[in-house]
Amino acid sequence: MKPVGLEHYLVVSGLLFCLGLWGVIVRRNLLIIYMSLELMLNAANLALVAFSRFNNKLDGQVMVFFVITVAAAEVAVGLALIVALYRKKQSAHVEDLTTMKS
Amino acid sequence: MNLMILELAVVVLGLGILLGDLWTAAHQKHLLGYAAAALLGVILLASFFGLEQVGSGPAYAFNNMLVLDGLAVFFKRFFLIAAILVLLMSVEFSNRIQSGISEFYCLILFALTGMMFAASANDFIMVFVALELISVTFYVLNSFQRNRLASLEAGIKYLILSALSAAFLVFGIALVFGTTTFTNFADIQRALVANPALAGNGLFLLGVLMIIVGLGFKIAAFPFQIWAPDVYQGSPTPSTAFLAVGSKAAGIVLLLRVLFVAVPAVTQHWSKLLIIISAITILYGNLCAIPQRNLKRLLGYSSISNAGYLLLGFAALSQAGKAAILYYLAGYLFTVVAAFTVICLVTRDRDSDDITVLAGLHRRSPLLAMALTMAMVSLAGIPPLAGFFGKFLLLKAVVEQGATNSAYYWLVGITVFGVVISLYYYFGVIRAIYWSKDVTDFSPITVSWPAKLSLVVCMAAILYLGLLPGKPLKLSEDSALALTTPVSGSKQLFH
Amino acid sequence: MDSQLTQYIPILILLLVAIGAAAGMLIASVALGRWANRGRLQNRAKNQNINTPYECGMIAVGEGNTRLSVKFYLVAMLFILFDIEVVFMYPWAVVYRDMLKTNGPVILGSMVSFLGILFIGYIYALKKKAFDWKS
Repeated sequence: MKPVGLEHYLVVSGLLFCLGLWGVIVRRNLLIIYMSLELMLNAANLALVAFSRFNNKLDGQVMVFFVITVAAAEVAVGLALIVALYRKKQSAHVEDLTTMKS
Repeated sequence: MNLMILELAVVVLGLGILLGDLWTAAHQKHLLGYAAAALLGVILLASFFGLEQVGSGPAYAFNNMLVLDGLAVFFKRFFLIAAILVLLMSVEFSNRIQSGISEFYCLILFALTGMMFAASANDFIMVFVALELISVTFYVLNSFQRNRLASLEAGIKYLILSALSAAFLVFGIALVFGTTTFTNFADIQRALVANPALAGNGLFLLGVLMIIVGLGFKIAAFPFQIWAPDVYQGSPTPSTAFLAVGSKAAGIVLLLRVLFVAVPAVTQHWSKLLIIISAITILYGNLCAIPQRNLKRLLGYSSISNAGYLLLGFAALSQAGKAAILYYLAGYLFTVVAAFTVICLVTRDRDSDDITVLAGLHRRSPLLAMALTMAMVSLAGIPPLAGFFGKFLLLKAVVEQGATNSAYYWLVGITVFGVVISLYYYFGVIRAIYWSKDVTDFSPITVSWPAKLSLVVCMAAILYLGLLPGKPLKLSEDSALALTTPVSGSKQLFH
Repeated sequence: MDSQLTQYIPILILLLVAIGAAAGMLIASVALGRWANRGRLQNRAKNQNINTPYECGMIAVGEGNTRLSVKFYLVAMLFILFDIEVVFMYPWAVVYRDMLKTNGPVILGSMVSFLGILFIGYIYALKKKAFDWKS
């Protein structure tokens, strides 16, 4: 059996990214779409950490710190927005975002 | 440290407003907005005295993460002016925001900080942090009118699509970091020079493409423009204005740095891609704007077409093209802010942004009618205003490249076609002001003196940039020089 | 087996033990309950208390899954924000000693300003009564 190498991490990370993208495109619930977006960010984090480890450079891990903290701030704001929409509209589905149609 | 003194000042000002709000009575809160605008004016003035080291070439800080060169200073001043004008606009808007108007001012200041950092970014980590600071503040700014469903929807649409573009950006950065082992622009450029095979590496190119996706979203270029009309329509007017000017310019400056400093070798090969994106963006924005009756939505599509015009400068791949981008952006700033300020004032007492609210505006307030007319004429690209000269410079830069590739002539043709289409809908707005049939409301609109001042400044700047292009053009050319100087041993302040 | 995978055998064992313990407890409680009730299942209506969690304690009131106040959400969000910012202190602490010799003011000033901004955020949340449970 082959030892776990860079390409394994990259394949996993690429798969996670595609899964997240698939979720964003296919799912209709805002919360699930938001979770899929976080999955995409974490896929990128995995790739960054793997590259960082195999390149012996810490820049990637520093980037991951920033991605994690920024994602937390993003989630705080995003969830608050989705909750505010739910209170107003009693729905968290993308089909219901139709106030502005031309 | 003194390289980011302007940003620090803005952050301190933002925090000061945040704390000041806690001890300010409700009826005095608009003073906070004026105070913020005035202090930003002081910071803007200080930038002309405090940044003398720029004259002696670019300076770097924090392990080359930040750069202060002519381009950075140009954009910092650009963002400061935009924020001052938008703050004055939001004071006029304050009666339509139920609670937390001081937070609205603060968020504008924090978004401004992000934009100013973006102007100085010289590292992909910095790019990400600056862009996200802008995005996250705009989620809140766009959905600030929580009692209006349209505003909430605008916020959520922006949230989802912006987060999606951020995911692409981060993954792209990961791939670029993985293949070059660097996140710094100058290091990546050197790595590309040292190892030309890298420019053919699939993973690396995929990474660069994903980064362009992330930045293309910010400037609303095709095919990442779908959010723009809805978000422009639903957001509070000052947020829309800041989104149209500040956020777009931040995307442009980052795109300039990424394409011409970090990966110039790739950009040379991708001129066709830039040409195609630019042409489709111009056509899409202008064609879709024709049937629009909602003013803000119309300006949303107009903003897409303007992203296309700006991309002309990228596609030209020349120094003249880069200078033309800066010149066009300067004109665009004053034009768009003037248009949105007028919309903000006219719709103050009505819950509609329909084009019919403009009926009889020249009787209700000649100043507003004149400002909006000038803005529309400038956007349409009619001489002698700023928009005309900006478009002229961009097209000139593209024509100069025509000898290398005949596709450039097609691009010029498409652009001229787009401009001709745009005449129709921009003049629709002007017609609604002066030649509306069923005018019912002749009540004069009172305009406060700060709003008047900001409109007069915008009009003066539109005229100045159109009639006396000499000095500002020299400034844009000098600022664009930052994108040519070969990366050399940098002055380190800290490491 | 490859040496790299053998390193993970303790984790595999831990996983099995964890699953076994959790599943065992669930299965055991169901089985014990069945066994204790074996003769009384027919006249359950008469003897309801047998099936409550605490036969001899207070009678349970209300739903098991009550809805939580939205206040929790606000506090949880603030907690996550302040909590995750601590991550920046780790790399800072790692290089602190080295940098103190060469660039003292910078390393101290950067963390003080970072914490200062967080602290202003905290004051803001406090003054806006985000932590006020009663209202």
